[in-house]
Order: sequence, then C-alpha cells, then structure tokens
Amino acid sequence: MGKYLLVDPTTQPMSASFKGAPRLRDLRGKRLGMIDDSKTNAKELLEDLAALLKGRYEVRLEMYHRKPSASKPADPKAVTDMAKKCDFAIVAIGD
Amino acid sequence: MLNTLETEWKDAVDAIERCYALGWTDGLPVVPPTVERVEEFLAYAARPADEVIGLLAERRREVTVGKVAANAIMAGCKPEYFPVVLAVCEAILDPAFNLIGPSSSLGGAGILVIVNGPIVKELDINSRNNLFGPGNRANATIGRAVRLILMNTCAAVPGLFDRTVLGHPGKYSYCIGENEAQTHWTPLHVERGFKRDESAVTVFAAEGPRQVRATPDPETMLYAAADTISTLGSSMSTSGSVGDTSSSLIRQGQVAVIFAGDSQVWKGWSKDDVCRSLHPRLRRSAADIKRAGGLPGPVQAGDESKYLPLVASPEDILVVYAGGEEVSHMAVIPSWGPKVSSVAVTKVIKRSAR
Repeated sequence: MGKYLLVDPTTQPMSASFKGAPRLRDLRGKRLGMIDDSKTNAKELLEDLAALLKGRYEVRLEMYHRKPSASKPADPKAVTDMAKKCDFAIVAIGD
Repeated sequence: MLNTLETEWKDAVDAIERCYALGWTDGLPVVPPTVERVEEFLAYAARPADEVIGLLAERRREVTVGKVAANAIMAGCKPEYFPVVLAVCEAILDPAFNLIGPSSSLGGAGILVIVNGPIVKELDINSRNNLFGPGNRANATIGRAVRLILMNTCAAVPGLFDRTVLGHPGKYSYCIGENEAQTHWTPLHVERGFKRDESAVTVFAAEGPRQVRATPDPETMLYAAADTISTLGSSMSTSGSVGDTSSSLIRQGQVAVIFAGDSQVWKGWSKDDVCRSLHPRLRRSAADIKRAGGLPGPVQAGDESKYLPLVASPEDILVVYAGGEEVSHMAVIPSWGPKVSSVAVTKVIKRSAR
C-alpha cells in the first residue's frame, strides 16, 4: 500500500466569454439570419423553415450564409454582419 | 502548475484499475501519471508545465505541456519520445489541421503521424516490417499518446464529442517512420520545407490503411495504387459537407501512399515523378459517383464520360517509403475529409539543449 500523487491528464472547459442576447418575445415582422452548415439537406430544411416563418409571422429572410465546410466555423465577418442586420438567427445541421 | 490528486493503491493492478475508474484510459491499461514521472518528462524536454501548446476554441480547451506529459506517460512513452509527442500536438492544434473536424466527425478519422529525420533512428521508430504494428514501443506509444491527448485534453471522448460511426484500429495508435536510409527519394519533411538534418512530424487526418499488392515494377504498382485510390465510397468521392463544390463537384482530399519493397524498383523515379504519374489517374466518372450516392441526382447524358479528379493536384499525394523490403506492397491512406476541412501539417521536433 502506498500513497501517490497523480497528475490529472484531463482538462476542463474554460468559461464562456460571451453573454447571450435577450430572447425575442414575438417573431412578427422580425429579420432572420440563417447559417447553413453545408451538409446534405441543410439548405432544404432552412428554405422550408424560412417559408413557414414568412407565412406565419411575416419574418423576412435578411441574410443567408453557407459555411465552406461543415467542420469549419462560419465566416466571422458574416456572423458580425448578421448580428447587425438580423433580429434572430437559425443554424441548421443537415445530414 | 500541475493539477494533481492524491490516491493510494496496494499493488500494480490496483494502480491500473484506479486509472480506469478515473475515466482516463482508451480501454487499455495505462501507466499511472505520477508527479515524479511527469517532472522527469518536463525536465527532459526543458519545457514548463503551464506552457500552452494550443487551443481547441470550439470546446474551450487549452492544451498545456504538463497535460501532454501526463498523457504521454499513460500511453507508455519514454521521456525521449516526449518532444515528438509535443510536436504532434503543435501540428494537430494548427488551424490548418482544424482538429475539431477529425476529432468529432462521423467519418472516424485516425491521426496518422509520420516521423522523419535523424530522430527515427535515435528513438528506434519502426519504418520497416510490421510498419503499422504491432511490436515497437516508440510507434505504439507515440501513436497512442495522440489518442489519449484527444480524449483527455480535447474532450474527443467516444459518445460525447467523438461521434465516429465506425472508425478504424488506427484510432488507437497510428505512427510510422519513413525509411530514409534505404531510398534515394527525398524525405517527406524535406519535401515539405524542412532540412534533412532536422526531425519533424507530419500529421494527417486519415482513414485506415488499405494494403495493395503489385509486382515490383513502377507501372504495375502505380496502376494498382491509382485503382485503389479511385475507389467509390471514399471520403474524397462524395459531394457531402462542402459548401462550394462548384469547381470540382466533389470534396477532393489528400492521399498518403506508403511504398514498401525494394527501393531499386524506383531507380530513375523521384517522388515528384510518382505523384505526377498518379495524379491524372485519380478520378472517377460522374455516373459512377452518382450510382454510389456521392453526387445527388440520376445519371444523365454525358455523365459516363465526365471524369472528376478526386485529388486536386499532385502535391496532395504524400509519398512515403517505408515497410518491409521483401515484396512491392503499398498502403493507400485516403484523407478523412476534403482539403477545405483539414490538410496535412508538418512541424519540426524541438530538441532540448542537452
């Protein structure tokens, strides 16, 4: 029997450095941004959703961004633009 | 600053079981990472424990030298392997490698590590028979350290962030050396911008190795290799998951080809000659790719004669001389993903002044 000091080989996530935007109370007439992850069917899913939101709440599709690859982050410039031009965003993961 | 925990055990089996209970292993027994052993590794590499090697921003993880040491120890590495493991970490955390993709994807990538330079001989890294194992401590433990680092420091835990559907045995360990001494070919790291007397690692997010047999003749070998690389159902022969496929229609990746056998077969051929001969043959008709579901829609007029290149340029073929010399076998290793998702990255191995 012996006592040993082990080095923990694991990491913990660092705390998030952002604060979420306030939630919307009503979707009517709002401007929508969409991010397509470029996987199969993401585009179809988002297009149907945009049409549904337009019909039901008069939501306007203001901006649509398609990522270069599913495993790459969205273009930071597109994200910044979307934050300025849109009231809310929907991200779709297809497959 | 090392993050430690005190534990006790009555014998070796108890120590190993304790590491299982802590959730630190890849399923195989590990060497317990004691503070004394970690300090020995840090002293060997002359690097501080809290030095940050890189970040995995998507999972908000920071990978430090101390954490890498603990995982290398668990994998069974010797202290002299540690600088190799550190160089691998620098490479996989390079933005061009885009670790978030191969460490999470359904595609099930292994991280192939190719070691070049004088360190291959110094550490007795295997570059000959049984290239992909088993039997050699350096290859087995350096490759295994990479997987433990992914699991323990990058949260690439199966069922959590690692969503692999099938994967392959290279996910346990996937490390080889190039047999530079027995070929006239330029070593891989020299082709990729490093000096011959430097040691370096090249990391490649990859599918498993497919063994290819041919007779010892360049033309027959390249014919067989080209056919294997151009197979349907590979990561490269599909349009999925890529935003802009307008120029090529399909993903297009990189491919590593490991050439074993008598190097004299290649007398008069350079690696560049091999790549230029292979490249135009790495293709498939749009009709075939559609039949295998790699492209959407029905086969249309013209699809049978429309050939799509699976690899964008000859430089995307990584040629390595390694393996046994008895017969002219090859291993074809397609990339896990398209180049837009991840590319092979080479880093120098930093040697401490000793």
